[in-house]
Amino acid sequence: MIVREIQTLEEITVGDLIPKVHALKAEGWRIIQVLAVSGPEANELTYSFGLGMQFKLLRFRVGSEQTVPSITPVYVAAYLYENEIRDLFGVKIERIAVDWLGKVYDVKGDKPFSKVTVTGACVECPPSTIIQGTKS
Amino acid sequence: MSAHEKAAPGPTVIPFGPQHPVLPEPLHFDLVLQDEKVIDAIPQIGYIHRGLELLVDKRDYLDYVHVAERICGICSFMHGMGYCEAVETLLGITVPDRGRWLRTFWCELERVHSHLLWLGLGADSLGFENLFMAAWRARETVVDVAEETAGGRVIFGSALVGGVSKDPSDETLKRCIAAMKPVRAETLRLANVVMNESTVRHRFEGVGVLSKEMAYALGAVGPMLRASGVDYDVRRRGYAAYAEVDFETVTETAGDCMARALVRVREIEQSFHIMDQIVATMPSGPVAVPVKGMPPVGEAWVRLEQPRGEVLYYVRSNGTRNLERFRVRTPTFANVPAMVEAVRGASLADVPNIILTIDPCISCTER
Repeated sequence: MIVREIQTLEEITVGDLIPKVHALKAEGWRIIQVLAVSGPEANELTYSFGLGMQFKLLRFRVGSEQTVPSITPVYVAAYLYENEIRDLFGVKIERIAVDWLGKVYDVKGDKPFSKVTVTGACVECPPSTIIQGTKS
Repeated sequence: MSAHEKAAPGPTVIPFGPQHPVLPEPLHFDLVLQDEKVIDAIPQIGYIHRGLELLVDKRDYLDYVHVAERICGICSFMHGMGYCEAVETLLGITVPDRGRWLRTFWCELERVHSHLLWLGLGADSLGFENLFMAAWRARETVVDVAEETAGGRVIFGSALVGGVSKDPSDETLKRCIAAMKPVRAETLRLANVVMNESTVRHRFEGVGVLSKEMAYALGAVGPMLRASGVDYDVRRRGYAAYAEVDFETVTETAGDCMARALVRVREIEQSFHIMDQIVATMPSGPVAVPVKGMPPVGEAWVRLEQPRGEVLYYVRSNGTRNLERFRVRTPTFANVPAMVEAVRGASLADVPNIILTIDPCISCTER
């Protein structure tokens, strides 16, 4: 039996993250991954969840000085993704359940995947506009 | 404090890996033991991280498939194909039927070769050298078929944005199916060994149990998830030609090492069943469509079912020939938290075979 895949993307704010993942957990969604995409102004984080063949994405952007709450109190399995994003992109993630303190990858240089050049105060990031290819 | 209390030993930490006789790839655990029992395990990856995702903005998007195929030497074709499917989604390309059928054939060939490779390594972890050699001898025919149909034994080299780059004749494919008949019979014989041989049963049954609830909650994928009773297989999405073939999603319920072994050996039979159907119904026509120009600005997500489970590919284009971002979430990466859970409570002597039944691929994980 073939099940049609449904992909949905929701733009949220950092403050919405924990309430949203609590709601998804209660509905039975499982964590699939956390993606970071780096730009000159900010890093964009996309959290992916699955329920059967449904595929849900939560997305927000964070400036270099912003912190993101860890979702490991809700989805403990997210600790690998969060450690990876912190090591490679320099995203500040607070209170990861299993925290390697920046030692997941033995890579040369600090946050080698980051392209963020704007530092300082928190950036009010506009929503991403390049989502045409995403099926919904 | 009594003398006995002073002498009572606390937990002991045993380093396991990254170089260990049963681990073909570098993975490390700090095993926290109380006597011989593992009470916690702290994983460590990152020994060979290659940063292949970062290469995407330095390579032409059509050429990057060669890098994607080299993420892993066991599921190389599926990595190349997953990248291609993501780019094709971005471009709005439909792969011709013969190309889709060939993709499905090579995906299943790769699954058989991966599961037989695993069976050999799993047997080796038990010291069962005869089973190890029998499984790898059977696998040899499978990689011969890969070479004859795709051109490569490990890196198939046949994935292409828009379709596939090789077009073996129908006669060649039928001859390959015939050549693999003894492998199919041998796999059934080896499955019987796994199920009935007392040494294997003693080391696998009731060992490294992962409950259905924990497997799902920890985001486990593939045989790891299905062995705990969760019926989830991304092939049900119907990508490539999976919508056109009949197959069973193999599940077990015990959640132990034996269940994970049985899911894989039974999946081999299902893969042969799919390849039979693919070759019997192989359509004629082109295997690829030409792809020219720049990819549009946009992004795409694609999920496939690799031998180790669900894999996710993400591409984002800024409208140039170099993609802005490529991301692979590999099955072993998703299975690490479940692997830690399966090891908890086990005897130290059982840790190697528990880890082997999860079939970790560190090459994928350290893409």
